[in-house]
Amino acid sequence: MFKELDPILHSQLRLAVMSLLISVKEAEFTFLKEKTNSTAGNLSVQINKLKDAGYIDVTKQFSNNYPQTICKVTKKGIEAFEAYVKALQSYMNPNGQ
Amino acid sequence: MNENETPLSGDESMKLINEMIGKAKQSYVSKGIASMVWGALIVICSLLTWAQVQYKFSLGFDIWLLVFFAVVPQVYFSIKEKKQRTFVGHNETIMAYLWTAFGICILILTIYGNKVGANSSASLFMMLYGIPTFVTGGVFKFKPMIWGGLICWGLSVGSMFTPFTTDMLFMAACGLFAWLLPGIICWNNYKKQQSCNV
Repeated sequence: MFKELDPILHSQLRLAVMSLLISVKEAEFTFLKEKTNSTAGNLSVQINKLKDAGYIDVTKQFSNNYPQTICKVTKKGIEAFEAYVKALQSYMNPNGQ
Repeated sequence: MNENETPLSGDESMKLINEMIGKAKQSYVSKGIASMVWGALIVICSLLTWAQVQYKFSLGFDIWLLVFFAVVPQVYFSIKEKKQRTFVGHNETIMAYLWTAFGICILILTIYGNKVGANSSASLFMMLYGIPTFVTGGVFKFKPMIWGGLICWGLSVGSMFTPFTTDMLFMAACGLFAWLLPGIICWNNYKKQQSCNV
C-alpha cells in the first residue's frame, strides 16, 4: 500500500525550498531565491503556503535599514519532509517495503 | 525554477531534493583565510623562536605577541564574512563556542606558561591545538583537519621527550598540518567552486 504524498511538499518550488531549509539552520529570502532560481513573487507565494501549513517559520526584520525575511523549518516541517521522503522511497522501491 | 505546480514524478522529486541539498552544502565552502593566517603565524613564530634559541640571537621582543595582534583582523574578517552570508548553518553556533573556548584556553595557557616557564607548556599548547582542529574536521567531514588534529596530539606526546628547540619545530609542524595546509586546501576548493559558478 503506497502512502499518499503530502500535496504541500509535492510541488517543485516548495520542495526545493524545504530541501534547502532542511540543510541549514535558517536562511534569508535572497538565499532561497538565488538557489532556486525563482522569481521573488512566486517564491513569496510558496513560502506563505509553507508557513500556513506550519512547515516553516518566517521572521521579517530590518538589517542596515533593509527589510530582511528569514525562513526556518519547524519541527512539523521536518517531520513532514521525512515522511515525504519515506513515501517517495516506497513509491520508487515498492519491493523494499 | 518552474513556476507552475505540475506534480513531480518520484525520480524528479528525489533529484530535486538531492540537487538542493547539494547546493546548500556548496554554500558552506569556507575560504580558509582565517585558517591560513593562523597557521602561517604559528609556523613563523615557532620557527623564529627556534632560530633565536638555535643561533643565539634575540629579536628584542616576544614574537608570540604577533598571535594576539592577529586576533583583531581575524575577528574583523569573521564578522564581515558572517554579515555577507545569507544563511546560518546548523553547526555554526557550536563552532563559534568551540573556537571561543579555544581562544580563552590559549590565553589562560599563555599566562600559565609565563608563570611556570614557556619550556614546560609547549606540549600543552599542541594538545590544545588538536582539540578544535579535530572537532571542526569531524563536524564538517574535512579529513585534512582531522589528520591535523591527530598530528597535533602525536607531536604533543613527542614533545614531552624532546628539548625546547625541537618542541618549537614540532609546534611549526602543528601550525602547518592543522591550519596552514587545510586552509590552502579550503582556498583551492573555494576557487574551484567559484570557477564552476561562473
